[in-house]
Amino acid sequence: MITRIWGWTSLILFAVTVTMSYFDFPIPRAVWWLDGILWLGGTAVFIAARGMGVFVLRRLLETVFVIWVIATATFVLLRTLPGGPFDQEKALPADIKRNIEAKYHLNEPLHVQYGLYLKGLSKGELGQSYKYIGRDISVIIGDSLPASIQLGVYALLISYLIGIPLGVLAGWKRGSFMDSGSMFLAIAGVSLPSFLMAQVFIQVFGYQGLNWFESAQWLGPEYYFLPMVVLGIRPAAVIARLTRASVLEVIHSDYIRTARAKGLDAKSILFKHVLRNSLIPVLMISGPLAAGILTGSFVIEQIFNVPGVSKHLIQSVTNRDYPLILGTTLMFSLMLVLANLITDILTAVIDPRVKTL
Amino acid sequence: MIRKTFVLPLLFISLGFLSCTKKNKVLEYGLELKDTIRVNLASEPPSLDWIKATDTTSSMVCENMMEGLVDYDLSDPNLRMIPALAESWKPSADARVWTFTIRKGVKWSDGVDFTAQHILDGWEYLLNPKTASEYAYFLFPIKNAQGYNSGKIKNFSEVGARINDKGQVVIELERPMGYFPMLLTHHATWPVRKDLIERFGDRWTDPGNLQTLGAYKLKIWDHDKALVLERYDGYYQEKAKTKYILGYMINEYATALNMYGSGKLDFQETLPAKELPILKNLPGFRSAQMLITYYVGFNTSKAPFTNLKVRKAFSHAIDRKQITDLLGAGHAPLTSWIPTGLLGYENDRGLRFDPELARKLLDEAGFKDRSKIPKIIYSFNTNENHQRIAENIQAQLKKNLGVEIQLANEEWKVYINRLHTDPGQMFRMGWQGDYPDPDSFMNMMTAKSENNYTRWSSARYDQLISDAASSLNPEQRKKLYSEAQKILTEDEVPVVPIYIEYRNNLLSQRVKGFPINPINRRVFKEASVE
Repeated sequence: MITRIWGWTSLILFAVTVTMSYFDFPIPRAVWWLDGILWLGGTAVFIAARGMGVFVLRRLLETVFVIWVIATATFVLLRTLPGGPFDQEKALPADIKRNIEAKYHLNEPLHVQYGLYLKGLSKGELGQSYKYIGRDISVIIGDSLPASIQLGVYALLISYLIGIPLGVLAGWKRGSFMDSGSMFLAIAGVSLPSFLMAQVFIQVFGYQGLNWFESAQWLGPEYYFLPMVVLGIRPAAVIARLTRASVLEVIHSDYIRTARAKGLDAKSILFKHVLRNSLIPVLMISGPLAAGILTGSFVIEQIFNVPGVSKHLIQSVTNRDYPLILGTTLMFSLMLVLANLITDILTAVIDPRVKTL
Repeated sequence: MIRKTFVLPLLFISLGFLSCTKKNKVLEYGLELKDTIRVNLASEPPSLDWIKATDTTSSMVCENMMEGLVDYDLSDPNLRMIPALAESWKPSADARVWTFTIRKGVKWSDGVDFTAQHILDGWEYLLNPKTASEYAYFLFPIKNAQGYNSGKIKNFSEVGARINDKGQVVIELERPMGYFPMLLTHHATWPVRKDLIERFGDRWTDPGNLQTLGAYKLKIWDHDKALVLERYDGYYQEKAKTKYILGYMINEYATALNMYGSGKLDFQETLPAKELPILKNLPGFRSAQMLITYYVGFNTSKAPFTNLKVRKAFSHAIDRKQITDLLGAGHAPLTSWIPTGLLGYENDRGLRFDPELARKLLDEAGFKDRSKIPKIIYSFNTNENHQRIAENIQAQLKKNLGVEIQLANEEWKVYINRLHTDPGQMFRMGWQGDYPDPDSFMNMMTAKSENNYTRWSSARYDQLISDAASSLNPEQRKKLYSEAQKILTEDEVPVVPIYIEYRNNLLSQRVKGFPINPINRRVFKEASVE
């Protein structure tokens, strides 16, 4: 009972938070705290109750190791890349180049630089950008990450909101016009490249077409809509196909036959038995899906001029802005690892069969 | 029943629609359209610290907020020098010592009086090795400045700049330099408020901390989104005509063009070359020659370009006009080294397109049998325009000389690194003058210049450039540059000039009085909106 209340409260609160953020209502700090307590606290209690504490701890330790490997690999790769951060069209006089290299410790031997870098990292310091002079990497990421997360969360939500009903419908009414229609849409959604989709949406809904939405910047709901939808379409299509397959599997299972035999009405069968059970595989791909949205957002952020973090990931490589490359790479890795961990925990929440992990 | 599953997404989507309230008169941050010019900065300014900034976005913002001792008259095609923070200035007879009289009554945006000390503070900050400013070399002509920057001289008081008892700034140079005031138009040489830098550290350029004395002051800096400049009412000259400049940071030019087309943007600079034929017909299309040149260089230490006749043959064999026509961006073909509009420009300088003479020269060079020519690789950095130019040059050399060259492209930083360490036989490069003086172009081909990748040098050339730089007499300078240009583009030919760049931009019809100029200064104080 308590779990149920907790579950619904956190879900509703989450929905409220997202809706508020979408419509640019200033979200009171109390809401954030409540969100945090409900989600983190709930998860922690759940982990403890299921005896998953050790598992989660082990995974977190693994994460530290993974991050270290990625940090080292990126560091080594960057230094082997020809062309340094201060190689530019107008060559710098030797004295000036020396000053700059001294400022960023680029004149030290590589192992010293690596040591300095790891030392900073262990203290949570990512250093200062070479390009954005004097700005801390953590500040740059802190400034741009919210927009990326916003976009990612909206896109993920809309993909569930579109994908699940579409999949259920197609599976439930298998072979009907609805089925073929929605599966056609799904295949189109998976196979059309997002940059093309973005252009089509801009042409149709942007100022040259219906002029319903803004097609650049990130300043309010009318700006959020197009990038969110374009980024969400591909995962929505994946979810729809998966849901359909899963629903088909479930409705042919014995317990559904039993439910029908008992004389349960179609509504109860669909919502109580079919939907709940067929969502397990859908939820299990959330991790990879979130990863896909993260990587897919590079193009979308560029086209719609979303002030997100992926732009920095790309431009920093062009600029050889070592600290920024390392910072953004680590951040993306961390997000991917965490997304997978959360998926594992969520799966345990939904699927009682998953007990020992 | 199933329909219900659609209620939620439909609700969500319709909420999306409902939210499309069109804002017309009021822009972001509550600015009113009638008071605002909306420009595309194209990217986040990397730094508003004008001493450290090195990119065009940052300079565009800084040039509207700050000023130096002297400035250019942007309404004058010759970009005459006019007083700014200095009321007047005068050189000693040998152009080695310069005295600047500081303007009185100028106030920073926080009400603090501007003084000569702020100038020296700026220079100390610029030259300090710890600042590690890339543009420190702008002041290297000042006595001991380079020594201080390299750490050999510890005390800034030994640098040849001081305030005399009349409150004037007196500058002693290493050697005579006739165009020295031009260097002081550059943002790296502008005054700073040492007290603010000490107080706020790297955060001194944040809104609220940053104090400036130009026509505009920083109001909002919403990182990666937008930046707002507000008119500074205490400006010592005539106040800016428009109250706000709203700078968007739209990197994707297609997006920016869409916004311009729908009247949501007033000024867009980067225009895609391929779409120019269409964009040219838009109202508000403007084009201006820049002090930027494009050239092909030879590594004169690598065969076959060790041979002067081969270099001359190649220069004669390239029709520059074909290249500019191909690009269609309005660039002008160029055979001389000094671009149009600068002192010393000579229309007929350089080697003309003459395929017959080119073939003859190549024969004379000992390559009558073309198969004897060593393999030639033309290198360029990966970019659509450079690719088109390279392919055109390849085709022209094949047609006009019967020589096959190979093309090789590399990513920008890799390419630059190679030019510095081991340049290829033939390479492309561009040059942008730091100031509208021929020295900015001619000096880069001297032996000691870090930007001369050709491995070519000439003692006579270096002497001419040094003499011309120290002269105050325009006629004498013209003569010296004429001889130097002849050596460079006709007698020795380590480089083949290709074109002078034209920059195109779009300016909304509602904005008036916004000058366009060859040094790409984008100053909005005279611009008004209707």
